[in-house]
This record gives sequence, C-alpha cells and structure tokens, in this order.
Amino acid sequence: MQLFKQNYFELFDIPASFHVDQELLIGRYRDLQSQWHPDRFASGSEQQKLQAVQVSSLLNQAFDTLRTPLVRAGYLLTLKQCDIERVSQQDLGMELLMEQMQLRETLEDLPVDDSALAALDALKERVNSKLQVSEQAFAKHLGADAILDAKKSYHELQFLVKLLREIEIGEEQRLDY
Amino acid sequence: MALLKIAEPGGKLVQTIHHLAVGIDLGTTNSLVTASCGGSVETLPDDNGQHLLPSVVQYRDSQPPLVGQKAKAAAIADPKNTIVSVKRLLGKSLADVKNSLQYLPYDFDPARDPRAPAMLTVAGTKDPIQVSADILATLARRAEHCLKGKLEGVVITVPAYFNDAQRQQTKEAAGLAGLKVLRLLNEPTAAAVAYGLDSKEQGNVIIFDLGGGTFDVSLLSLQKGVFQVLATGGDTNLGGDDFDRMLVAWIRTQLPPAQQADLSLQGALLGVANDAKHALSNAESVTVQFGAWSGVLDNTQFATLCADLIANTIKTCRRVLRDAKLSKTDIDQIVLVGGSTRMPVIRQAVAEFFGKEPLTSIDPDKVVAIGAGIQADVLVGNKSPDNYLLLDVNPLSLGIETMGELVEKIIPRNTTIPVARAQEFTTFKDGQTVMSLHVVQGERELVSDCRSLARFELRGIPPMVAGAAKIRVTFQVDADGLLSVSAEELSTGMTAEIQVKPSFGLNSGSIEQMLKSSQEHAKTDMEARAIREAQLEATQLIEALANARVQDGDLLTEADAKSVDAAIGALREAMPAGSSNRIHHLTEELNRISGDFAGRRMDLHIGKALRGSSIESNAEGNSTK
Repeated sequence: MQLFKQNYFELFDIPASFHVDQELLIGRYRDLQSQWHPDRFASGSEQQKLQAVQVSSLLNQAFDTLRTPLVRAGYLLTLKQCDIERVSQQDLGMELLMEQMQLRETLEDLPVDDSALAALDALKERVNSKLQVSEQAFAKHLGADAILDAKKSYHELQFLVKLLREIEIGEEQRLDY
Repeated sequence: MALLKIAEPGGKLVQTIHHLAVGIDLGTTNSLVTASCGGSVETLPDDNGQHLLPSVVQYRDSQPPLVGQKAKAAAIADPKNTIVSVKRLLGKSLADVKNSLQYLPYDFDPARDPRAPAMLTVAGTKDPIQVSADILATLARRAEHCLKGKLEGVVITVPAYFNDAQRQQTKEAAGLAGLKVLRLLNEPTAAAVAYGLDSKEQGNVIIFDLGGGTFDVSLLSLQKGVFQVLATGGDTNLGGDDFDRMLVAWIRTQLPPAQQADLSLQGALLGVANDAKHALSNAESVTVQFGAWSGVLDNTQFATLCADLIANTIKTCRRVLRDAKLSKTDIDQIVLVGGSTRMPVIRQAVAEFFGKEPLTSIDPDKVVAIGAGIQADVLVGNKSPDNYLLLDVNPLSLGIETMGELVEKIIPRNTTIPVARAQEFTTFKDGQTVMSLHVVQGERELVSDCRSLARFELRGIPPMVAGAAKIRVTFQVDADGLLSVSAEELSTGMTAEIQVKPSFGLNSGSIEQMLKSSQEHAKTDMEARAIREAQLEATQLIEALANARVQDGDLLTEADAKSVDAAIGALREAMPAGSSNRIHHLTEELNRISGDFAGRRMDLHIGKALRGSSIESNAEGNSTK
C-alpha cells in the first residue's frame, strides 16, 4: 500500500523540515483519520477492518512523531541515514556533558519539600530557554546539511527534555499529585 | 433491518434501508438502551414505561432469571442468588474482589478458575460475564420489541479507565448475549458526543463522571466535529456507593453498642444512608432515622464525612489537566455525568476547583447512553460519516517486564488509539533459544505494582552469542482499546511469531497456560493479604463477643454458650495457618451461631432505650458489676 511506503512528511503532504506548521499538520492528520479510522469500517469486512486499524495506527504514529519536537528531530536525522542510537562521548563533547551534569546537580540538591517549588520553576525556565536555543541550532545545522552538528544538537535536546521531565516529576512529588 | 418509508419533497416515495443499532450504557447500578428515532436519540422504555433497568439479576431454580426491577426487589430476601453491581466484578480475580470490595453476600465457587469470581446460585455457577450477558440480552430484547426488528449491532459504553481484562469481558458478555459489538465506547467520550452534537460546543471540555461504582475524568478537545481525548484518569473503585458507606460508618457510631458492629444490619443501613444521600440533593439538611436512633445531617457535615472521597476526585482532575498540559483556565466547559454528580457537595467541589459552573442540561443518568446511541447510528451506517470523528486514547500505560522486575513502557497512557508500537529486545546469554515476555498494564515502575496481562515465551530463537539476536515485540491496541502482542525474531530472517490476546475466553491451551501462570504469581501475594484480612475480621468478632458476654452474659443460654465456645475454638485453631476462605467461613459460622444472642441483646437494649434509660450508662453499670 502506497501510504506505508511514504515517509511521515509525505504522508501528511508537508515540507520535511524541523519547523512544522502545527495547524496544517493537525488539519491533514484529522482529514486522513476521517477517511481511515476504524469507525468508518465498523460494519465493513474483516479485511477492511484490519486495514483500517493498520492505517489508522500508522497515522497516529506519524502524527505523534511529527508533533513532538524531539521525536521529530530524531526522525529527520533517521531520514538522513543517521544512526541516532549510536552515541559516543566525542559526539557530545566535554563542554556539553559538564553543563548537563551541573544542571542535574542543581535539581538533585533542591530540598524535597514544597519550599523548592520556586527554585524548580526557575530551573524549568532556564532549561526551557536552553531548549529553544538547541532547537534553533538543530534546525540551522540540518538546513545546512551539517548532519554531525545536527546530531550533537539532537543529543543536547534529549538531555534537556529528559531533565525537564524530571523537573516536572519533582514538582508532582512536592505538590502531591 | 427495517425498511423506512420516506416521502421526498417532490412527492415521490423512496424506500431507504434503515439499519437497526442501539447504544447500551451497561452501568453499575442501572443500565439503559437508546436508539435513533426520527432524528433524535432517545432512551427506550420497557412494557411498563420504565427506562432505567436496574443492573440486577436474580437466578431462579428451573426458571429463567429475572432481570431489573423485579430482581432488585428480590435482593434483600434472596441475596445469594441476586447479583447486584456485577460491573464491579468484571475483569477481576476472586482475590481482587475479596481485597478491594467490602462485604459481598455471594458464595463463590472455589473450584472455578480464580481469575473469574464465579458465584454459586440455584441456577448453577455464574461468572460476571454471564451475569452481564443476561442484562445485555434483556436490553436487546426490549430494543427489538420497541424497534420491531433485529439488531445489527450495538455500541456498549465502558469507563475510560477500564483495563484490558474488563474490556475483553464486556465484549465477551455481548457475544454471549448474541450481540455484535460495533464499538466499545468510553463513557466520557459518549457524554461529549451527546453534548457536542446538541449544542455544537467548541473548545476544551472536562467530563466528570461519578457513577454508582466507578469514577472517570476525561479532558476532550472538540473542534469542527472531531472529538479528541487529550487525557483521562479515574478510579474503578470509587463511586456513589462509597459515599453511602461513609454515611453508614457515621450512623454506626451513633447506634447502641450492640448494633455498632452487627454485620447483619449492613443492608438495611445502606438503604437508610442511600435515602439520606438522595434527600440531601434537594434539601440542605435531613433527619436520618434507624431503629430507635435519629439524627440530623446537613450538607456541610456530609462534605466533612466524605472529605477524602471528594479530595480524591479533585486530585484526579488535577492529574488529568497536568497530563494534557493544560491549566484550569483552559477549560471551557464541564460536563457532569452519573447520578452521583447530583450531590451538591460534588457540584460545589467541582465548580470551586474549576472556577466555573458545570453543565447539567442533559440528565446525568442518560447522557452516556444517548451518546452511545448517536455513535451506534453512525457506525451502522445510517448517518453520513463525515459528520464527526472520535479519536480516543488508551487510559493505562502498556509495557513489558525488563531486568530487575522493572517495567519498560511501550505505549504510554493517553496515546491516541488505534496504535501499534514495536520495541527490539535481545538475548543476554550465549546460545539462548528461549525468551520470555511479560506484558503488564499500569503506571508504576515495578512489575509487582502493575497488572499482569500476559506472560508468553518466544521459542526457537537460533542459538547465537549474547546480544546478537534481535527480537521485535509489537503491541497493537485497536479502536476498542483491546491489546494484542506479537513477537518475532529478525536477525537471521527466521521468524518465530506468537499472537497473544490477553482474553479470558481464549481457548488456545498454551496461551491459557501462560495466562494462568502469570496469575498464579499474583495469587500468592493476594492470598497473603486475604488471609491477613480474614484473620483481622475473625479477631474482631471474637473480641466483640467476649465484650458482649461481659456485659450481657446472662442472655446466653448454656447450650448456646457451648456451641459458641466450640465455634470460637475452631476459628482460633484455623486462624494461624488456614486459608482465607476457611477462616472466613468459620467466622461466618460463629456469626450465625451467636446470632440469637445478638438478637436478644438488641431487644434488651432497644427495650431499655425505649424506656428512656441511656444505654451508655447501663453498659457502664454492667461492666463495674
């Protein structure tokens, strides 16, 4: 089936770049789901139902991939035949590793009660602005086809997103969610 | 299929095929069936004009079971054969049921598979699937009678928080009732469909659904006919019944000591509590009466008694907002679903938290069924498909056990379904030819804290050095939220594949065995917990009896005293080493034997109370004798 041979950008008929028009993506996704969702084939044959589940799953997978910046960045590198699973210390550089370690230590040193909430907020803001810088760097490198530099920015994004998630978990624990 | 005659404006008569399909809200307390009748979806009544069908089934000797109102009326006189709130038992093991639910009057068949709590009735052993099937069949017969034709399919609603086993069993129940399931629809999504299509709402909507036995919160985004579930959360063991139990606990503290721990009063007390709760929905305060006691309860006091329950519902709202990365101010509408949202204490708590009054224009008891009827009409092909689309999510994370009994999540919760995700694994020993996979559902980190869905082995992996084999495990969740898992070995082109559906109705022997072994592991822990609970229950009864004999020993005849002593002796003997079932059985036996004694004590104390002397002072007097 043609749908399965296309990459996710082709699937939604949008340009393959790091910057994605979210409105356009959501619109295309919903149009395609309207055609292929299993609800459209609830009274159909088993064959049709199976195909609907497969195509609809593909659309959800593709949409989730393109919607989230980090996952989208990784996918773009994969399209450029770059193996994002293989990471060496050289890829990252000492400077990046040291900085990440410091950020992580800042998080770990915070007190475990809600007196840490303001500090968590400040840290979150700091990480978020770093995230924006890394995203711009990634888009620039990828646009210039500098794959190794783009890969480094991608790994930096990975660190930052993970750290952000840990800050959020820290918040949840202190707020008793 | 019924033929519908439609007159076109030109006067020409055309015949269109109208497919018959209904929506069913299979509720914990009541069930409803709806169908599209001339443009609008309505609930269908029975012959007596009743729309709500109590979800109660009474099994009878050599007669068909009674379902609904008549069965409900029989519940007090014939508790062992009358199954109520069966939805709470769906998808649970006997140990689950005994751990999470309070007193149930049924005799469970110990010989049956512990995964399904089978109840012994005069009509034979019945499991929750069969009981649910009897309710579904009654609703389907009603619909076929009303619509004068055979049903082509049904949409059945389930709580968004239902796990895989609960969904599977719901679908199996429909199959057993001879119904074709077009879709299992999450209840909050159904509620949104009902509101969305009526009032053309746009924006973010919270569906707050507090029913008799389950609680769900969902956050949906509604845009141009597309309903997208952004996040869901809830508790399958929180409902209006819990508020009743809180009230019962409060009433008990006010009763004479002899009645405070009398389990046989539970049914009657629940009735009184339920009436009081309902009355509080229309009045600021009510007078509660039980036997010789009466007291006044107002909504403020009620809110205090149920503060923990209410706080839990709000906590879930906060969790759902966070999962969807939205804040309270992003919420445009709040829809209340389920009879328990009639409680002013709940409405107030919700309105306070969101800073907005919730919507209530559709009857909260019917809104889910109406949404299901609308969806059934679309899925069976009566409505143009481009009207709208439902994009639902899986409510619980699905993962696999990895080293150190940790869970690796493969599909996180709130992922839009249907979804397929693959993950690659490898061997960790040279020459390893077998890999075992353990599929779990839940949010916790440790395998032991999640629900075990299936355990299966992938055999025939070509022997290679450690780490060389590549095994791809694929999780597929369909639009009903049901999971299937497959695994294949990729590295040599040789593929070994196994399809596992964690269905309890599956008859493939090997898979059944795998499921069984997975449940057996869980069983050990649960039995341990069940024993502790049974021991506690026994100790409490023995102590209560000892106190009663100090106070009113003269009411116990010598013969009775002997049999009570014998029963206490047997129970004490069984307590340290017996199974939870045996301890429980002996406790009940002691309860029965001492029943007359308890009765005489109650008569005496009520008599004293009626004569105006205080029981407390009497009790004190006795104890200092």
